[in-house]
Amino acid sequence: MLLSDFTVQNVAAGAALLGVTSGVLGAFAVLRGQSLLGDTLSHAALPGICLGFIIAGSRHLPSLLLGALAAGLAATLLMFLLDHYSRLKTDAILGSVLSVFFAVGVVLLTWIQGQAGTAHGGLESFLFGQAAAILRGDLLLIGSITVAALALVSLFLKELKVTVFDPVFAATLGYPVALIQAVMTMLVAVAVVVGLQLVGVVLMAAMIIAPAVGARQWVNRLEHMLLLAAVLGAVAGVSGALVSSAQRGLSTGPVVVLVACGIAFFSILFAPGRGVVWERQNRWRSSRRLRTRQLLTTMLRLSQEHSDSDYATEEGMLNAYMGLGTRRALRRLESDGLIKHVVHMPEEGSHWMLTGAGREAAERVLRELGRQ
Amino acid sequence: MAGGSGRLGKGVEPAVRHEPDLAVHVEDLTVSYHSAPVLWDIDLDVPPGVLAAIVGPNGAGKSTLIKAILGLIRPAAGHVYVLGRRIGSVRNRVGYVPQRSTVDWDFPTTVIDVVMMGLYGQLGWIRRPGREHRRRSLAALAQVGMEDFATRQISQLSGGQQQRVFLARALVQDADLYMLDEPMAGVDATTERIIIDLLRQLVARGKTVLVVHHDLQTVTDYFDWMLILNVRVIAQGPVGEVYTGENLKAAYGGRVALLRDAGTKPAGK
Amino acid sequence: MIEAFFNNFELMIVLTGALVGIAATLVGSFLVLRGNSMLTDAISHSIVFGIIVVWLLTGYASGPVQVVGAVLTGLLTVWLTELVAGTRRVAYDAAIGLVFPVLFAAGVLLINLYARDVHIDQDTVLLGEIGYVWLNTVTVLGYRVPEAVLTVGAMVLVNLAFITLFFKELKLSVFDPGLAVALGFAPGVLSYVLLGLTSATAVASFDAVGAVLFIAFAIVPAAAGYLLTDRLGRMILYGCAISVASSIGGYTLAVQWDVSISAMMAACTGIFLLAAFLLGPRYGLLGRVLRSRLSSSAGGDPSSGKLAP
Repeated sequence: MLLSDFTVQNVAAGAALLGVTSGVLGAFAVLRGQSLLGDTLSHAALPGICLGFIIAGSRHLPSLLLGALAAGLAATLLMFLLDHYSRLKTDAILGSVLSVFFAVGVVLLTWIQGQAGTAHGGLESFLFGQAAAILRGDLLLIGSITVAALALVSLFLKELKVTVFDPVFAATLGYPVALIQAVMTMLVAVAVVVGLQLVGVVLMAAMIIAPAVGARQWVNRLEHMLLLAAVLGAVAGVSGALVSSAQRGLSTGPVVVLVACGIAFFSILFAPGRGVVWERQNRWRSSRRLRTRQLLTTMLRLSQEHSDSDYATEEGMLNAYMGLGTRRALRRLESDGLIKHVVHMPEEGSHWMLTGAGREAAERVLRELGRQ
Repeated sequence: MAGGSGRLGKGVEPAVRHEPDLAVHVEDLTVSYHSAPVLWDIDLDVPPGVLAAIVGPNGAGKSTLIKAILGLIRPAAGHVYVLGRRIGSVRNRVGYVPQRSTVDWDFPTTVIDVVMMGLYGQLGWIRRPGREHRRRSLAALAQVGMEDFATRQISQLSGGQQQRVFLARALVQDADLYMLDEPMAGVDATTERIIIDLLRQLVARGKTVLVVHHDLQTVTDYFDWMLILNVRVIAQGPVGEVYTGENLKAAYGGRVALLRDAGTKPAGK
Repeated sequence: MIEAFFNNFELMIVLTGALVGIAATLVGSFLVLRGNSMLTDAISHSIVFGIIVVWLLTGYASGPVQVVGAVLTGLLTVWLTELVAGTRRVAYDAAIGLVFPVLFAAGVLLINLYARDVHIDQDTVLLGEIGYVWLNTVTVLGYRVPEAVLTVGAMVLVNLAFITLFFKELKLSVFDPGLAVALGFAPGVLSYVLLGLTSATAVASFDAVGAVLFIAFAIVPAAAGYLLTDRLGRMILYGCAISVASSIGGYTLAVQWDVSISAMMAACTGIFLLAAFLLGPRYGLLGRVLRSRLSSSAGGDPSSGKLAP
């Protein structure tokens, strides 16, 4: 069985942790309208990782991750300054920080590569994700970071909730809104740190967004959304890890992302109550209902105007009135026993007449409409 | 003394109270944005227990004034005392109802959850709301006629209902001063009636209510005190004295000079 | 003389960088103004998908076929993003972050499966190295010229022609899309052409600077220009000037420290942005802080208070 393989276990566990952190921590970014923070902070991590490597002298994971976090902090501060003290819009700030930090990272990377004699292998795995590089010891570190972050979120859930939902109101309550927002951004940096090794710089963006977006389609409370996002993220992570292990030559990161985004798209389309497909069906059903009601009331009114309770309406008139073919709707009404087909004159078209039940139904609809 | 109460959270508060008899005391308040003043030399004294309207044309700075009083904006000059103190130390006694459009209504939360947010300030850090807080929130919802909607997702509400939820969120704090920003703009007649009845009840219980109001026609019906604002104070005081053609023309009749000159003195403060 | 110009190894590198910067800034300025900066990010990454698909279908790893493929991929990315955002279940930026990673991931997997040993590898696409522009040369009128100079130079001309011809339409569609529609300027079509040109510029630049550094050239100089002036034409001009300066400065520093030249050029754009942010004459932070200090001691200029968020 796949899972009995040691490496696969590592990868699956790492992927599960990635899924959980990016799902939960990413949810706040998505709800704040800062979905692409994951993209920016993952690119911004590169110089930090390189600095960590330079200082530690080798691929010492805690140093690399600390460096990534420090770079994330620097990026957060810079984005804050640009946001509050310049007229740059959010997207330009995100894009600028993303590309410039990454550029600095590449500068450092090439500097490291130019240093003869340093064992710089493995740094590139941070760019593109290399699951096999995950060691069991790494898992311990990443796991503790995950636990700490989740504990933080759980303790301060209501503070985070009110700051995201209504920051101005939160300020009137006395909360240090800017600080809390900075912390939320740093949480995304933490998620990036946890997941970067697995999916790489480019794909991290999707991991921050997809589980949260998927979860949102199914539930309506923040607490539930966070839980579901964690689950969806973990599912995507583990299945991606297993699939890529089963099939030779597939990188893990891309598979995980495809699963996560697939889940998100599926949720967007098919979630009950919110899904696009569901809504379309609902709209179709209610427009069908509307059409049959209209037909009933039209036929009733016509029979009233002709002062003939047995008035039989010609189908052509109904088509003209409704502006579209009514045969199917009429058949439905007939099978419900509300109208019946009558033969008026052999050479004229189909005629339809209200039954007693149909008359009552039509009167009921008119009463409802009158009340509205 | 330059610089208003710009720091959020609790500062070091001396025991001295300033203008304790006034609900709101503003002196020399000036707020500017980029290169033009939005509020200029505002002196405002709101007595306690009034149902007060703040009116003025678009861009007059009415919302800005509310935000400056609440300490959400740092002024270029002047200072603000609320209930005799700096805003930082009386936050729990001030309830704020913002304009409806500031929030993402697709946020995953229920009506009662939003109302309970009004109590977060009293709960402090980390503590979760308990049964008592839930009960008080339901009571606040009942005051605005929305108790049946408690577990409804907020995106399912109509405009007027959303407004009432915001109102309940402020009411649950049981504050001494309420500040509302255009609460009746764009709501149906029923909601407007509910809101104004509620505000009257609050005043009857001794609270002070300050409302940025959008509709000049109803000022005399609803309010007993008013401030006419257009970047600077045009007039303030009891509605009967202030609501005059001359004052309204001074405010709404085009550009307002920031400094008085001999011929165009507006009505006195 | 001309021969000396084209044979000057260093000059050609700097020229390539400058051309990339100018071509990118010409289109990037409008994207920044429209709030679409992150679309350059999306397009740059998803182009990997286009490159591998085109290669699988036609066997060409570069050239005009790839340019066409890149344009199509870029437009596909935007179209899919709008489709996802159009469901209204997802915000626009979230849609961006769902679509381009899928394309990029698909591209990487295709490379994994079918193109392991081809030179299209992630490193070069994402990072690029401008020093290598001399590996591909083309002979024009008897002079040996780096191919990149020609392709990017062509993009500069095409982009310049486009924004010159449609300057007022572009301006209007940025500031008042509703009016643009009413006047019949088809801002939607204009928008897609703009993004198509961005994609073409991106792939033309890849050999030189790689995907992510292209993003820097497309956004950062334009953003800096935005901080320096209120006039659109000047903003583009300043942006181009900063691109050229970054190219020169970046090359010099990179050679000194023996690091990636293209990355250093991109990093320099960041330095200019920081400078514009701090020292810009009208909007610069230092200027505003000093002005407000001066005014409070002089007692009475209301024109400089800062608003807390």
